[in-house]
Amino acid sequence: MTSIRIRTVSAIAIAALLALTPLALPMFGATFWINVIAEILIWSLLAMSVNLLFGYVGLLSFGQALYFGFGMYGAAIGITQFGLGLWGAMLLGVTAATAMAAVAGAFAVRLTWHYFAIITVVFSLIFYFTAMSAKSLTGGDDGLSFTAPPILAAAGLTLTDKTTQFYFIFLICLACYLGMALLVSSPLGMRFAAVRDNENRASLIGINVYLTRWLAFVIAGFIAGIAGALFALFGRYASASYMFYHVSGEAVVWTIVGGAGTLMGPLVGTALLILFREVMSGLWENYLIAVGAGVILVVMFAPRGVVGSLNSLTLRRKASEEAPVVSPAELAKVE
Amino acid sequence: MELVVALAINGLVWGLIVALIALGLSIIFGLLDIINVAHGDFFMVGTVLGLTIAGTTGFWIALVLVPLLGLMLGVLIERFVIRPTINAASLTIVTTFGLSMILQESVRAAFGAQPRRMAAPIEGTIPLFGIDYDIYRIFAAAFSAMCIAGFFLFMSRTTLGTWMRAVRHDRETATALGIPVQRVCAFTFGLGTALALLGGAIAAPITTVEFRTGVDILPVSFMAVVIGGLGNAKGTVAAAVLLAVLEGLVSSIADPTTARISSLAVMSIALLVRPHGLFAGATR
Repeated sequence: MTSIRIRTVSAIAIAALLALTPLALPMFGATFWINVIAEILIWSLLAMSVNLLFGYVGLLSFGQALYFGFGMYGAAIGITQFGLGLWGAMLLGVTAATAMAAVAGAFAVRLTWHYFAIITVVFSLIFYFTAMSAKSLTGGDDGLSFTAPPILAAAGLTLTDKTTQFYFIFLICLACYLGMALLVSSPLGMRFAAVRDNENRASLIGINVYLTRWLAFVIAGFIAGIAGALFALFGRYASASYMFYHVSGEAVVWTIVGGAGTLMGPLVGTALLILFREVMSGLWENYLIAVGAGVILVVMFAPRGVVGSLNSLTLRRKASEEAPVVSPAELAKVE
Repeated sequence: MELVVALAINGLVWGLIVALIALGLSIIFGLLDIINVAHGDFFMVGTVLGLTIAGTTGFWIALVLVPLLGLMLGVLIERFVIRPTINAASLTIVTTFGLSMILQESVRAAFGAQPRRMAAPIEGTIPLFGIDYDIYRIFAAAFSAMCIAGFFLFMSRTTLGTWMRAVRHDRETATALGIPVQRVCAFTFGLGTALALLGGAIAAPITTVEFRTGVDILPVSFMAVVIGGLGNAKGTVAAAVLLAVLEGLVSSIADPTTARISSLAVMSIALLVRPHGLFAGATR
């Protein structure tokens, strides 16, 4: 099998497994894990948003929690203040996040590397402190609680049913992953890669580097917005604390542990860390020590992340079958 | 007016302490290209060790011991956590993030989650510009300024300091000239860590001591480093002091959150207008 086929088959297998979880888990009496997996799916979208910028365009953002927060508050405020339905609230949240990313991105993508990382943190901190102090609107640290409106009242679909809620989240995430797969193989995705690999060469062949980066930033904000809106609906809760830079930092860690620049990396990284945390927290009071040591060990032994390392394994196998050496371009691409 | 003066001096005091911490980050980030997400937690460990050691041996011994412990901690961390991933800046984010979790959780396990306060080792106030000001805060500012000056002397006058700059400038030539590059890198990380812990020990009597304080100080020190210009140590100090004084002044007319937001806004404008640091071109 070629490495691309291996990757496609494993992605389909993961999707199929996830689709079966709400049917399979209750058989083992493990209904608790349905919600854990739903939460993993939501957070993996935030990691996907980091991955789009870092893995595909080469911009390290430490501020994606800002757009997550706009999506989250957009949905929550849409329901509590404007009495919107579920879809209207989601639309409001995602629109708010995308618009914010369009404005912030216009400034942020003028900078790169360390400077870009800092300006994204600064932007997200400004709104974190604003949300903390605007208690009447956002609830500040205490947050906003609400009851989620039905998905489709006529069909009796509501989020209160665990299985329905899982499929609601699963289908939206699936759509995001399909969209992402299409995006990175589209002409725009090629431009992303060109800008990431060599900014000067990209601009010499006529690519507008600034516009390309800005588009990536807006799409990343859109994805983070979906994650935030889903998270608000899933928890029936929104809080300023989810906009803190630490949340953005965790998403960066999930992405790199899973494998930056790979489609499934963010999902694998998020799943590994959240599952590990869930399991360890039941065993040891100071389980975060184990989690910290765990992430250090992963990047020491798999510097390209879990998925990145698996990919290079299949690449090497393909290479030994078909060609004498791995092409340097493939290797260089990963870093 | 008295309030404005007091808050401006508070800003200056805090700015000098932050400058010390940011200098530590500046050499780790600027010389080694390590995005050290655990730097705030190094500061936190400094406050906790400062309080604990001061409780048994007295504050003055703690002030000497804490940075030495920091140097040892830093060298150990460099050897076992940083060196395996030092070639990729993006991986150092993950290793130092893991480190940050380990440090915070270990402190919480050993020291407890309850925030504590430490009594100032020098009691009393003196009149200053028409207000009564804590003597310890004046001492903290003066001592930080002294340490900063010592740092600059060290970097420009000693062999080790010169080596550190040489490794930053051109690693291969430095190796060819016989500079023990690996040891210099380990020492650089150790010194950066020691500065953060020292900042913690100085700040312990004027701030709350708990396992979470590093989270607030981290973005502030990164901003000082970047706005001052990467690798420009003097710029880092100036940026740290400017930002803290500005925040102090604004907080005399508005609540602390608004002050924080306005200093962040100033920072983003500074970054956009002078993307390579406020003082780019002034020293090179």
